[in-house]
Amino acid sequence: MSFRKRNVGLTTGADRTSVPNISTPPQAATQSAPPTPGVRPSPDDGRPTTSTGSPSLDNLLAGHGGLPVGKMLLLEENGTTDFAGALLRYYAAEGVVQDQKVHVVGMQEQWGRSLPGLIGPAENANEKSDRRKSERMKIAWRYERLGEFGAGVAGARAPAAGSGGQAPSTDGGQATQPAFCHAFDLTKRLTHPSIGNMTYIPIRPSNEPLLVSIQKKLEAAIASSPPNTVHRIVIPSFLNPTVYPPEVSQPENVLPFLHSLRALLSRPASRITAIITLPLSLFPRSSGLVRWMELISDGVIELCPFPHSADALSTSGAATSHEEPPQGMLKTHRLPVLHERGGGSDQNIGQDWAFTLSRRKFEIKPFSLPPAEGDKEAQDSTRSDKMPKKADLEF
Amino acid sequence: MPSQPALPHLLAPYVSSPPQSSLTIVSSVLGATSNWLVLRFLYAALGNPSASNSGYDISGLENGKKKKVVLVSFLRGWEFWRSEAKRLGLDLARLTEKRRFAFVDGLSDLFSSSSTPSQSPLSSHQYPGAGAVPRTTLPIRPQPTPARLRQPVPLSTGSNGIASQTARESGPITKLHFSGSGVAALDALEKEIAAVINELVDTKLGDDRGESEIILVVDQSDLLLAATGASKGIGATEMGDWIMGLQQAAYATIATISADSPLIHNASAFAHEAPPPLETEHAAFAVGLAHRAEIIMQLRNLETGAARDVSGVLRVSKGSAWGQREIATAEESWEEKEVLYFVQRDGGVNVFGRGE
Amino acid sequence: MVPSNMSHRQTHNLLLISKLLSLRDTASPLTLLLDSLEQPATPLVKEYIRRARLSNVHVTLIAFETLKPLEGVDAFISGRRKSPSEILKDVAAAYQPDSSNTPNRRRLILIDSINPLLRSTRLDKNFHLSTFLSSFIIPSGSPTAKIDSSLVITFHLDVPGRPAQSPYAPDPLTVLTYLATTVIKLHSFSHILAQKAARDRSLVPPVFGLAEEQDGVLLGRLDKPIGKDSAEGGVVLEMEYRRKSGRGVLEWYLLPPASRYPPTQVKEVVTLLDDHPLYRPPEEVGGGDEEEPESTFELRLTERQRREREGVVLPYFDAQQGDGPGEGGRILYDMGEEDDFDEEEDEI
Repeated sequence: MSFRKRNVGLTTGADRTSVPNISTPPQAATQSAPPTPGVRPSPDDGRPTTSTGSPSLDNLLAGHGGLPVGKMLLLEENGTTDFAGALLRYYAAEGVVQDQKVHVVGMQEQWGRSLPGLIGPAENANEKSDRRKSERMKIAWRYERLGEFGAGVAGARAPAAGSGGQAPSTDGGQATQPAFCHAFDLTKRLTHPSIGNMTYIPIRPSNEPLLVSIQKKLEAAIASSPPNTVHRIVIPSFLNPTVYPPEVSQPENVLPFLHSLRALLSRPASRITAIITLPLSLFPRSSGLVRWMELISDGVIELCPFPHSADALSTSGAATSHEEPPQGMLKTHRLPVLHERGGGSDQNIGQDWAFTLSRRKFEIKPFSLPPAEGDKEAQDSTRSDKMPKKADLEF
Repeated sequence: MPSQPALPHLLAPYVSSPPQSSLTIVSSVLGATSNWLVLRFLYAALGNPSASNSGYDISGLENGKKKKVVLVSFLRGWEFWRSEAKRLGLDLARLTEKRRFAFVDGLSDLFSSSSTPSQSPLSSHQYPGAGAVPRTTLPIRPQPTPARLRQPVPLSTGSNGIASQTARESGPITKLHFSGSGVAALDALEKEIAAVINELVDTKLGDDRGESEIILVVDQSDLLLAATGASKGIGATEMGDWIMGLQQAAYATIATISADSPLIHNASAFAHEAPPPLETEHAAFAVGLAHRAEIIMQLRNLETGAARDVSGVLRVSKGSAWGQREIATAEESWEEKEVLYFVQRDGGVNVFGRGE
Repeated sequence: MVPSNMSHRQTHNLLLISKLLSLRDTASPLTLLLDSLEQPATPLVKEYIRRARLSNVHVTLIAFETLKPLEGVDAFISGRRKSPSEILKDVAAAYQPDSSNTPNRRRLILIDSINPLLRSTRLDKNFHLSTFLSSFIIPSGSPTAKIDSSLVITFHLDVPGRPAQSPYAPDPLTVLTYLATTVIKLHSFSHILAQKAARDRSLVPPVFGLAEEQDGVLLGRLDKPIGKDSAEGGVVLEMEYRRKSGRGVLEWYLLPPASRYPPTQVKEVVTLLDDHPLYRPPEEVGGGDEEEPESTFELRLTERQRREREGVVLPYFDAQQGDGPGEGGRILYDMGEEDDFDEEEDEI
């Protein structure tokens, strides 16, 4: 996966005008490829990335600020909760809002109707807008630096920098910096003109092996769409026996499927990302099959929800009483690009993460155990005991 | 850290000159992948002598023999290897043109079902090659040799060998396609790879002095075993034989395998319950290869958990086959070692001992 | 241990291993070498070949995992993708005993690893391991011919076997150990030493390599402290020999590294493990005499000091005789001239 060469970029500009799907008008004559909504270069190495629909997951992905195009993320979840499903819906909804083509495997249209409703761009939708804004500023600043860097080395790249860094101030109107990530409300339903564009690949018996036919349908759907479309492949609750027939979980069915999915994603001309969720209670990580699925994936994230989070943990892990308590732990076993290169060198490595799912966002924060964890009553009582004792000692 | 040599000196003795007809095993786990090490092998064989200021002879010219590399990769495509090698200063596209390197793509079409002719025009329309349908990116870093860069010409490979024959001649990349079952399917793959190797051997260049040594790198061939399974009549023995067949065609072979706990230890003699066939076959394949290897390089995560300045642990050991060599010559003598490594953001690798 | 018993065992068992390794009198037609990644059988196999060459034995190597023939092998047969019957044919063709009057050379047939064969998916149902193996030893052509071949098979213990075809049939390793006349299990000497050191301190003995069950670890052996020349090099052989009478002999031996002796050495190089100074450090001579613990303080007295100590009369010594009421407890004190006697003080 790498970014394009300069001279090729020129030809694309011409190509793209013929594509009806793109709303951005062709900008001044010679310019490099105009940005596709929802795709931006990674601040780390400039590869195109797209948002997962939840800013804090974007920030977790090894400094790329999003899921790099052509990468496949495996979201594993322990227990019977469906936090991964919520993340997946954000991901799908973001794709719909960005006019990307969303392919849902194994689900009916029903699934698409339950996507969370749009609030607006993630930045201003957040109540803690100031903190968000500072993060936002950081990204913009990174942009600018990269733009300058590009301009310094190759003059032809200056317009690209303009479209990245200065566009919001100069262009005005339609081209204010298109939002990269949006905020959604899980309690509302998404209504968006392009929601009908989603394709569903249901599980239907056919004379071919099931996953082979899914693969073929996926490839056909992607091949039939205009060449510049950005695709998202969504596979909810993969291998779940309520959806998939049992023989699918044979390694000789699953692994070739994932392998060809990987091949599809890594084709030089394709612009696809994929997120798969996997119920770990049915397919434990200690099994060789799951390990192979992880090895084929670019990123592996495991969600470990706390058991019935209700009261016992109500305040544990939250730094202040104003913050919501975490609902589970999140482990990153492999991150896209980073681990492919050998791992290490990420500031987030080795961090323990906790996640909180609220109506409006899925938030991932560093996890720290408070001192009173699990023994709050005892601590309170000792504390209350202590005071009179001290008073006693005075006399 | 100031600029590291592309080949850290602690690593150089292990990757520079794999002994003749030897098998080197590189084992990796989920969080400690082997790609950086494979790239170091490529660099050691193909690297530019003038670019190196280290004392090691990595010129690729040894005893008047020129080293060439054939890379067979089952999990990563050409784009990945090309761009990662570029970060090391290795231009694989140019080396391919100079017939010093060949890439065999085991990812793109290995299990693809689009072998029917009706789909071929469609896919070739969609991927006409030469990057005519690029992703929209803001190319930030300049590409030094844009014009010379030849994009692979992806042709859809039929299930028969003829289509791939044409693919090989028209483009630098051979794409493997798995079809059929059992030993016959493996034989077909072996034949394709061997053809690529022989083609490199046969190519004589003007500056070639004498024979060339082909170093074969087989990256993650264990996928083939895991994804085919017993139903296709492929087991650890067949895969081992397959590797052995490839070994015979090359001067030295480097194979990477996964050594994750679930894949190895579920089936080991120390496990308590009967493991499923995937684990058994994988463990038998991996351990069997290790029995045949001269050098075993094991990558794993730090036991104490992830750290910010350490990517993982590398342990280099002598494999069972090392004892078969008669007397190790001076250049072949090296000692077993365990070091830490850190893959930097710029692609450089820092290798150091514990506590250094 | 009675010394004479020990020395008897020493001579007897050393003679036995010498006979086995040199294939004398076809003492063991089928030898099974059980090895692992931690201690491969290669050094022992090379020792077999070395001895075979010394005594002009024809060596055939059936290679399932070796690419190049080992030095000293007369016939190299690749077992890759061959059916058992093809292998048998090749082995028979490798050495043609000439029917002339010269006595046939004895044969050593080595199988570098039986695991790939046993795991092969192409083995048909009617493959019988025992028939296959015995047909190496007893050529089918002439059942009356003298048995003069020895078969040495290596089995990797750490390669998992294939799930049994029939749940009631014994698995191949069990069959092999049952058939074998000698079973030699190989251990690394440094591991044996480490385990013994732990046992001596009543600690759990350490495990190595795959047995550690650590993520990403196939091989735990590191030769760093051991090196080529250090004393800990070498292979420990745990041998079980089944005599014709049925009695088994168990013994642990140590095969030193090949660099320690010239390849033409005829004298026995293998020693008993118990005789190795690192495994069983020689006990200090005359240990029984020194019973008292040593200390930096000299607690013992010389004879003169003891006599003088006995001569000292302690104060109050007289009181213990108890001559009568009121008599005890007197202080016996003789006034010296330097004493300043005060009358008043002594009034009471």
